[in-house]
Amino acid sequence: MDIFTHIALGAQVLFTPMNLFFCFVGVLMGTLVGVLPGLGPTAAIALLLPNTFHVAPVTAIIMLAGIYYGAMYGGSTTSILVNIPGEASSVITCLDGYQMALKGRAGPALGIAAFGSFIAGTVSIIGLMLVAPPLARFALAFGPPEYFSLMLLGIIILIYLASGSMLKALMMFVFGLLLSTIGMDAISGTQRLTFGLLELSDGVGLIPAIMGLFGVAEVIANVEEEIKRTIISTKLKNLLPNLQDWRDSFWPIIRGSVLGFFIGVLPGPAPVISAFSSYAIEKKISKHPEKFGTGVIEGVAGPEAANNAATGGAFIPLFTLGIPVNSVIAILLGAFMIHGIQPGPMIITKHADLFWGTVMSMYLGNAMLLVLNLPLIGLWVQVLKVPYPILFPFILLFCLIGVYSLNYSLVEVALMIGFGVFGYLARKFQFEMAPLVLAIVIGPMMENNLRLALVISQGSPMIFISHPISAVFIFITLALLISPFIPWIGKRRQKLQEKVEGEEV
Amino acid sequence: MEKTQSHYNRIAAIFFLLVGIFFALYARTVEIGSWQEPGPGFLPFWAGIILAAMALALLFGSYAHKAWPVRPSFFPRTDSWKRVLATFLALIAYNLLLPYFGFTATTFLFLTLLVKFIFPQTWMRTLLVSILGSAVARLLFINFLETQLPKGFLGF
Repeated sequence: MDIFTHIALGAQVLFTPMNLFFCFVGVLMGTLVGVLPGLGPTAAIALLLPNTFHVAPVTAIIMLAGIYYGAMYGGSTTSILVNIPGEASSVITCLDGYQMALKGRAGPALGIAAFGSFIAGTVSIIGLMLVAPPLARFALAFGPPEYFSLMLLGIIILIYLASGSMLKALMMFVFGLLLSTIGMDAISGTQRLTFGLLELSDGVGLIPAIMGLFGVAEVIANVEEEIKRTIISTKLKNLLPNLQDWRDSFWPIIRGSVLGFFIGVLPGPAPVISAFSSYAIEKKISKHPEKFGTGVIEGVAGPEAANNAATGGAFIPLFTLGIPVNSVIAILLGAFMIHGIQPGPMIITKHADLFWGTVMSMYLGNAMLLVLNLPLIGLWVQVLKVPYPILFPFILLFCLIGVYSLNYSLVEVALMIGFGVFGYLARKFQFEMAPLVLAIVIGPMMENNLRLALVISQGSPMIFISHPISAVFIFITLALLISPFIPWIGKRRQKLQEKVEGEEV
Repeated sequence: MEKTQSHYNRIAAIFFLLVGIFFALYARTVEIGSWQEPGPGFLPFWAGIILAAMALALLFGSYAHKAWPVRPSFFPRTDSWKRVLATFLALIAYNLLLPYFGFTATTFLFLTLLVKFIFPQTWMRTLLVSILGSAVARLLFINFLETQLPKGFLGF
């Protein structure tokens, strides 16, 4: 089948009233949580996941994906108008975006952020369409040792890119692996650490864990002190960037899109890293680097394009290998499993409607976002004005009901509160959440592949090195683990970390 | 007293050391198996040992360096802990009371408590938010989404 047949298939899946509606709900919710500081896409997707159980898998994925890229759009609005990034990925947008708003150019800043995001979203979807199918065919040759090594490599890249201390991030990962062993063992059927609780025999639930770590913990951290926000109350006019603005931002958008897409494929806080990298590049090649930070439009256009493109790139490992690169994708993977879809290289061929339907929905979703964001910016500004003292009880309420309605289990609610306490404390102690969440999701897969590989090799761990593809993964993993000890690489890594500190991956 | 990052690391290291040892010991009760045929306790056992080893590394590392940056105090304000604790207690209370008082009443209490006492609002505003909030939540979750939430002895 050629690519047009696939696009036609995708469009056929997408253009049903149900799927269109859920696509719209997804991008709307995404923009909303993007605008609201203190509620990120991770918690929002986890929150809405239970409500998708009764719809078809493709509909569920369309909506959840919409939340993800919608949040990237929404995050820029708060950066520009309030100087508070709704999402960590739009931190950099504050620099020039807020300055533009102070100069009375909030309109063009918001406009170029929306257009840049739209163009970047489209670029990354085209990339996804072109790259994913061949990669999936390649991954068909993978067996248990390859999968185990690849997952190990993925998690190490994540740890390498995102964390403050690699040791502490590794500890969180191993802790997550341990938590993931709770429940019934998939191979022998033995109950492990369930304390006789029926709820635990399926393992520690992903949703209670995520709602606790990202929802409850986040809110608790925010009630420590009252945060005052001042919103720029200029009249929003001239949302459309003028010709000069376009001339200034066209190439930054294109560069940001390509950069974001490729960084997005890697595990880690890709939207943040790509936004920072794009800003750095634009500043470096600019004819007037000294003006950056005073409200130049390139400083908004490039990073906004980059962080949107990164969301598209992140779907590639999900659809081709079944491996999540960040917490959001991890929940989507969880959604696949809940709907009975075996993640892995077979998805694109076996569930062609799912893959192409989702891809097509991203085109349409991006268009919807453009429509939502430009005329509705006034509405989002109103949302921003809801005071946090009134807002946070509702966020908590949604978490409570969301988790309860999964299985009607108060044990899981208690589990969520427990994860909330842990997440709050772990942040205080400067431990990362992402390795923990990823370990909980891929832990069972890693364990099964490890044990199967050892059974195949009759107990020899050498199987991970004697298989060539696996050996390459293991080699890169070791290189990454050792590299911080090599002085000049270690220093560069530190610089990168300073940039992405405090990120929710 | 001003705390440096090494204090925090030490506490965390001891916590994870205990967790690692716990899992490694526990794994022995469910058959670790062998390298030829790894059993259900295989991963918990080795991962527990690795976690304990890394915790020890963190612990020793916290003594090795001298110039740790001083961390801002645990709570940004002296009274922060009250709000943090109260919010946690409210969550736990919600979980405990839900089966007895039912969804609508518990939600009303929960919202009232948090709006009134965390960042104190006027009673007028509090009641407006909590009455409207619990009514809308009831309509949304029970009447519209038909979520099976407990009704409690009050019957609504």
